[in-house]
Amino acid sequence: MTALALALVIPWAAGIVLALLDGRRRLVGWLAVAVLAANVVALVVLAGQVLPDGRVEETTGDWPAGVGITLRADALGVLFAVLSSLALLAATVHEVLEGARERVFPGLVVLLAAGLSGVFVTGDVFDFYVFFELSMTAAYILATYGGTRRELGAALVFTAVNLLGTFVFLLSVAGLYHVTGTLNMAQAAARAADVDPNAAILIAVGFFVAFSVKLGLFPFHFWLPTVYTGARPAVAAILSGGLANIGAYGLLRFGGEILPDELGLASTALIAIGCASILYGGVLAVSRRTSSEMLAYSAIGQVGYVLVAIGIGGEVGFAAAILYSVLNALNKTLLFLTVEMRGAIVGAVFALGALSVAGVPPAGGFVGKLELFRAAIDNPAVLVLFFAGSALSFVYVFQIYQFDFWRGARTGSLSGRPQQAVVAVVGLAVLAAGLWPEPLLALSHDAAAVLARAAG
Amino acid sequence: MKLAFALAAATIFGTGAFLLLHRDLVRVVLGVVLISQAAVLTLIASGLTRGAAPIYPLTEGAVSDPLSQGMALTAIVIGLAVTALLLVLVLRVVVAFASREIDEVAEEEAERDAALERLHGREHADEEAAAE
Repeated sequence: MTALALALVIPWAAGIVLALLDGRRRLVGWLAVAVLAANVVALVVLAGQVLPDGRVEETTGDWPAGVGITLRADALGVLFAVLSSLALLAATVHEVLEGARERVFPGLVVLLAAGLSGVFVTGDVFDFYVFFELSMTAAYILATYGGTRRELGAALVFTAVNLLGTFVFLLSVAGLYHVTGTLNMAQAAARAADVDPNAAILIAVGFFVAFSVKLGLFPFHFWLPTVYTGARPAVAAILSGGLANIGAYGLLRFGGEILPDELGLASTALIAIGCASILYGGVLAVSRRTSSEMLAYSAIGQVGYVLVAIGIGGEVGFAAAILYSVLNALNKTLLFLTVEMRGAIVGAVFALGALSVAGVPPAGGFVGKLELFRAAIDNPAVLVLFFAGSALSFVYVFQIYQFDFWRGARTGSLSGRPQQAVVAVVGLAVLAAGLWPEPLLALSHDAAAVLARAAG
Repeated sequence: MKLAFALAAATIFGTGAFLLLHRDLVRVVLGVVLISQAAVLTLIASGLTRGAAPIYPLTEGAVSDPLSQGMALTAIVIGLAVTALLLVLVLRVVVAFASREIDEVAEEEAERDAALERLHGREHADEEAAAE
């Protein structure tokens, strides 16, 4: 069995077993952590195979090529898959240390990991929808985790809005199949250039709306603050650090690889929406006084940068978008996990995450911002806006830092040492990304090269 | 034929969207169901070909497109699962809030926000006073 198959089979089989067990027991929780760790290992091995050769392809069920569903791992997919499973792993360890409150929690996280791995390594458009829906379904239930009225209300909004998003995605899949006659991503990309532009634009808009809902971009963000503030910290970390990656990945894959002409055509619109998102998220985050609310609005602002970079396009733009999505997911995982914690290390780690969000060295966010500036160097208006957005983010993160850690607005008991160690490890990852950025930079350029090659 | 499918899918989607915006939670679920059906119909319409049933060994002549049927079946199954999930979620909300109107859920959230806002406003006033 190859690493590609293992990365899908391990979490899927284990998730079904874990869903039947009582997740409130410590042992079951640690079992889920072990499965997630095994998934990360399988994905890292897969990355080791993919990065030198370019890609690993496999057709499921020994069907002849063209009949079976293709699984395809390339640098872009593997990078996002490893990132998402690491975010899930960190959040699960964090929650299990505190004690899972519902029996389904460990099983659902593992199933979510199965869905996410599938989304990032599939080479088939409809298969993408199936894995997409698998991870979303796990996330809908995870959003109710905690079970009080607040979480239930948030989960209802989350489910209704995102279901609409996935069905819009499905409509676009049907459209893409109709105009290209194939579901294979590589074939669809090759044939999409000859499609009637009117039809292709409609399909591209459908994909864009579906992924923007997932990312929480400005006009589609309305569900996000309710859900991210209503959910438990670990769940918010899973949603923003793991699940939201589908949005960035989908925009890159469907926009950058399959419909590059339409992406180029919509470039200005994407930059405008991204800028609106940056300003809206930044201004509203400044007005918030609790860390979870601030982070929720900050999430809206931060994905704006990703969209602007995608709008700029080209290898430099895509590389910046990929790098920034990775760093943003790390920041959000880190900061959401610390939301309800107290302690000396927590303060230090929060400050580190805050530096990263604001884009100040030595944290990883600095490198991301640097790449964004490099991508947008020809566009002074966007540069000014990036600067304003960064200034806003500096204000909102440190304002919250001041309230929470200097004036002691956070009450409750000190967090246990193991939990503090978990956030410290994630914090060190953010720091390492800033101190030694070469590996991540090289990875994001490799991933962007995949898209640039596909787009010709 | 394409026009008929397009009109049917559009009508179903429109009705679903209308229901989705309704205050009653059960209607919201029905709206999602209708929208999922619109997507299924579009999937079927995306591969409209005439021919024999695509069962191996193939007979002479054209066969109909098996892929869109496969996709439609998968989408129906997923739609069913998601609908069941959504209904359970609505049930839990109805039990927790003792209401099936979305307004009540929204109202509670608005109240929570307002309370938070008041608290922060008071803190802010205290800080201002302390600074002077």
